[in-house]
Amino acid sequence: MEKTWYSIFKTFFKVGTLLLGGGYVILPLLTSELVDKKKWITSEELCEYYALGASLPGIIAANTAIFVGRKLMGGVGALAAILGMVLPAFLAIVLLASVLSEIINNSYIQYIFWGVGVGVIVLLFLAVKEMWKKSVTDKFSGIVYAACLLLALWGKVPLAVIIIGAFVFGIVWQKIEDRRGGVR
Amino acid sequence: MIYLRLFVQFFHVGVFSFGGGYATLPFLYDIAEKYHWYSAKQLTDMLAVSSITPGPVGVNVATFAGFTTSGILGALVATTSVILPSFIIVTLVSKMLDKFKTNRCVKGAIRGIKSAGCALLSAVGVKLLFTSNLHLFGTMLLVVLLIMSFLKKRDPLFYLGVSAVVGLIIGSLNLIGV
Repeated sequence: MEKTWYSIFKTFFKVGTLLLGGGYVILPLLTSELVDKKKWITSEELCEYYALGASLPGIIAANTAIFVGRKLMGGVGALAAILGMVLPAFLAIVLLASVLSEIINNSYIQYIFWGVGVGVIVLLFLAVKEMWKKSVTDKFSGIVYAACLLLALWGKVPLAVIIIGAFVFGIVWQKIEDRRGGVR
Repeated sequence: MIYLRLFVQFFHVGVFSFGGGYATLPFLYDIAEKYHWYSAKQLTDMLAVSSITPGPVGVNVATFAGFTTSGILGALVATTSVILPSFIIVTLVSKMLDKFKTNRCVKGAIRGIKSAGCALLSAVGVKLLFTSNLHLFGTMLLVVLLIMSFLKKRDPLFYLGVSAVVGLIIGSLNLIGV
């Protein structure tokens, strides 16, 4: 299919609309739209963009969309892709937010939200488990995890400072490891 | 100037949240404590709403927070701000993609931030456990759902669906505070 900013926008709008329940379904969705149907990029390229998007700060879905958009049509493509990805989310919340505050005072809705609050803790636990598997794999990451957890629970250090600390410590540790490897 | 404050806070979320999906949460709870644009309880409700609405959680909450504080324009500002760092960073990285992939410093930094992102989210989980009024039935529901999650991988909507129904039943029987 022809690549225009509009066709890119439309494709990502569709993916953005189908993106329910967190960003974890994005890879299968993008594969079906971009690789199988439109044949704009290969599955390997998509996986690489996703992996890169996941290793950069920000929302992974947004990062991936911008990478793919840039590859397809440069800056214009990136803009079309991100707009398409975000617009459904934006519209849904704006439409919901105006009625949300009204229905939320209903006591039955309150009961549902009380229950769902428990469900959210479970989802949070699952997200931590998933992240843990991908990040805490050795002595270094174990130390960083423990230190950051304690600092975050203590609550006196801004979260951004914790992230920057881990960033710097990661570079230092890597340098030390590389140097040791070089000696051997 | 509310728009400027929205911009600064959500830009901050976009720059520092790391690890996808719920990684924005620690920062969003932080904003709830500091600015009262939304409460921690509202954020938890939003998470549930966001799992049945399109789009990433981070974008949903940004839009919601912007909208509740200052209407449609606020929603627009907050949503744009949370995405803008991605746009800048991805553009920079694409320009030096090969260097980025092989650089040892980048590799080390990413390893560090990944563990930190996981730790920050764990801290949110711990805080939520202590601040939610679970009482007897909430705790029982939590334990049952956790055991179920260990037995078999299920869709996130499963947990929300079950907990919504249980919440409705327990609430109607007036047992939530028990």
